[in-house]
Amino acid sequence: MHLLNFNVDRIIIHQVYRRDPDGNKIVPTQSHEFTNFEQSAMQEFKSRVKDAIGEGSKAVQMEIVNQETNDLPTLVDQLIDKDNVGFAVSSYDIAKKLTEAQQTKSIPGGIVVIFSGTQGSHSKRFLGIIKAEVHSGYEKEINPKTNEISLKFVEELLLTPGTRLYKTAGFFEKFDHNGISENLNDKWIVMVSDYQISKAEGKAAAHYFYSDFLGCGYPETSARTTKQFYESTRLFISEMNATEERKSSLLNALTTYLKVETSSTISSSDFAEKYLDDIDLQDTFTAYMKSTGLPDNAFTKDIEHIEKQLQFRKVNFRSNVKITAPSDVFKDLVIIESIDGDIDASGSPAEWTKVIIKDRIIKQE
Amino acid sequence: MNELEFINQWKLDKPIYEAWGNYVVNSICYELEKMGKNSDTFLKIPSKCRLKEDSSLVDKAFYRPGKQYSDPYNQIEDKVGARFVVLLLEDIKEICEIVKGNSEWTFDECKHFEDDKKRDPLLFTYQSVHYILRPKDNLITHGINVPATTACELQVRTLLQHAHAELTHDAIYKTKKTVRPEVHRTVAKSMALIETTDEFFTSVTKQLNYGPLQEYGVIERLDGLYLSLTGIKSHLQKSSIVIWDEYEQFIDDKLFDNIQILLTNPKYSYLPDTIKNRYPENVFYQQSTILFIYWMLIYRKRRLLENWPFQRELLEPLAVDLGMSTWTD
Repeated sequence: MHLLNFNVDRIIIHQVYRRDPDGNKIVPTQSHEFTNFEQSAMQEFKSRVKDAIGEGSKAVQMEIVNQETNDLPTLVDQLIDKDNVGFAVSSYDIAKKLTEAQQTKSIPGGIVVIFSGTQGSHSKRFLGIIKAEVHSGYEKEINPKTNEISLKFVEELLLTPGTRLYKTAGFFEKFDHNGISENLNDKWIVMVSDYQISKAEGKAAAHYFYSDFLGCGYPETSARTTKQFYESTRLFISEMNATEERKSSLLNALTTYLKVETSSTISSSDFAEKYLDDIDLQDTFTAYMKSTGLPDNAFTKDIEHIEKQLQFRKVNFRSNVKITAPSDVFKDLVIIESIDGDIDASGSPAEWTKVIIKDRIIKQE
Repeated sequence: MNELEFINQWKLDKPIYEAWGNYVVNSICYELEKMGKNSDTFLKIPSKCRLKEDSSLVDKAFYRPGKQYSDPYNQIEDKVGARFVVLLLEDIKEICEIVKGNSEWTFDECKHFEDDKKRDPLLFTYQSVHYILRPKDNLITHGINVPATTACELQVRTLLQHAHAELTHDAIYKTKKTVRPEVHRTVAKSMALIETTDEFFTSVTKQLNYGPLQEYGVIERLDGLYLSLTGIKSHLQKSSIVIWDEYEQFIDDKLFDNIQILLTNPKYSYLPDTIKNRYPENVFYQQSTILFIYWMLIYRKRRLLENWPFQRELLEPLAVDLGMSTWTD
C-alpha cells in the first residue's frame, strides 16, 4: 500500500555510537556526500526497504505524538522540502536525535540511513530512516582521507538479504492531505518496523526508537482495528469448509491470540502462520482479510471494544440448545465432535453433535 | 510410343516436372511456416522432390509384370514425387488439410491408409497417404511453363510408417525373388505394432499438451491483455511454462478475470509503465506471465514463495514493483 511504484532519489548515511563506558554520548560521524548506489545495489536497497516496511511486513502504523519544533516529526516535515544541500546538512540532526534517544549503554551503535523519494500512483513523497546496527565482529570503516563511511561497510550492513538487524521508519505523505492542518498526523502516515524485537517480544519496535527518537505512539484507532480483525476472522472461521471440531479449535485459538498472548502487535499474517497449518489456507485467509479493508501490516492490539466478547465462547444449535462458558474454561473442558445421526427418509444420516463436558453437574432446573 | 521415344520425351520434360515438384514442396512448407510450425523440426526428414530414375521409369513403363500401360508416359503419375514424413498421425492430418485447401492445384487422393483399413480391416500392410497433384491451370514458375497435365505424386506418412516402407518397398515389393509367406507375416506384424505405437504417441502428446491452461485459454488472453496494456507483444519462453506448471492449481475459469480486475485498479495503474521500463532487464517482464506473478504476489504470496522454481533474485524486482515484503517468518 505505501510502497507502490516507489523510487528513491536521495540517500545519506551518518554513523551513531553506543554510549561510552561512563554513559556519555559520542558525537555521531557526519557525512557530507549522498550515497550513490549503482543500479543493482539500489535494487537491493529497495528490496530491503520493502521487506521491512512494505505490504505484508511486520511494520506497524503509528501515530505522531510529539509535534514541537525540535521533535523529529517536525524535522521530517521540514527536511522533505529542502534542496540537496539543506537535506544533507539537516539530516545530521536526525542522527543527533537518535544519539540522544539511545540513553543506555546496552543500545548498540550503527549507521543511520536517511532517504527520500516518491511512492504511490500519485507520486507522493516519503522519507525513510533506517538504523542498521553494528554488532560484534564489524570494524568501523571510515575513509581516513574524506572521513566518509565506506560503501563496502554500508553494503554489508544494509544490502545483504539475510541481514535483518535494523530498525526502520517510513513517513509517507498522505494522498489527500490539504496542507493546511497543523496536525502532522493529517499529513503523514508513519510505519515503524523492528524485526528483532517484533520477532522476540511481539512489540512494534524498541521503545527508545519509536517513542524517544521518533516521537510516536500507538494509534488511537487500535481498538477499532482489533475489533474489526476479531469479527472478520470469526466470520472467516465460521464459513470455512471444515469440520465443527476444527472451527471450534480455531475460534479458541482466536480468543487465545487476542486475550492471552502477550504480543502487543497482531496481524492477519501472524495469525495465519501460527494457527492455519496449510499454506493455501493462509493465503486465502490473508487475501480475505485484505478484502475487508484490514491493514495487511501488523497493528497494535487493543481489545477494549471486544473484552466482553472474548470472555465467553458460545455455541448455538438449530434447536435452540445453547452452550456458554468462559473462554478459558471452554477451551479446556468442552469437546465438540460432529457425528452421523439417524438415517432420514432420503437415506442420509442426520448431522448430530456430540458434546463432552469434563465436569460435574451442580444444578438443574 | 516406343522406349526410345519415351526416353527422349522424358529428357525434354524433366525440367518441367522438377519445377512442379519443387513448387508443391515449397507451397506446403510455406503453409506450415504460416501455421507457426518450423519445417526443420515438424518434418522428421527434410522434404524435397525427387525425379524418378530413368531406368526405374522405363522398367515401370515397359517391363512391370502384370501391368500394361496403354499410354505409359501420361499414365505413370509418379515421374516426380515428394514425400513428407512427420511424427504423429495427427500431423498427417494437418498436411492433408493444407493439400486439400490449396487453390492452385487439383488433388486426387489415390491412397489413404484409413480407407485401406476400412476395405481390408484384417490386413496389416504398407500405410501412407498418396495424392496426385496437377496444376489447376498452366503455371509459370521460375521461368518454366508447367502444363496442367503435369502430375506430382505426394506421399505423407509418419516416421514409423516410413521406416516400414523403406524396409519393405525394395526388399519385397520390387524384388525379383519370391518372398516366403512367413516373411510377409512378420512384416504384417511390424505394421500392426507400428499402428499401435502411433496411437500411443498420439495419446501421450495429447495428455502432455492439454490441461487447464489450454482449457481456459489463459495464455492467449493474458497475451492480449499484456499487449493492450503495454503496446508491446509478449513472448512465451520456457521460464513461463515452468511457472504455469508449478502453479497449475490456480488456473481456473476466474483467474483471468481476477488478474484483469487487479490491473484495472487505479492503485496499480503504474504497472504497464514499469513493465515497459524493465523490459530489457529481466526475462519475466517480456512475458505476459508476469501479470499472473503479480497477482500471486498480492493474493497467493506464501504459495508463490514456497514453490518458486527459480532463484529468488528473479522474483525480488517484481516484489519491489508492488512494495511487497517477501519476509514471511
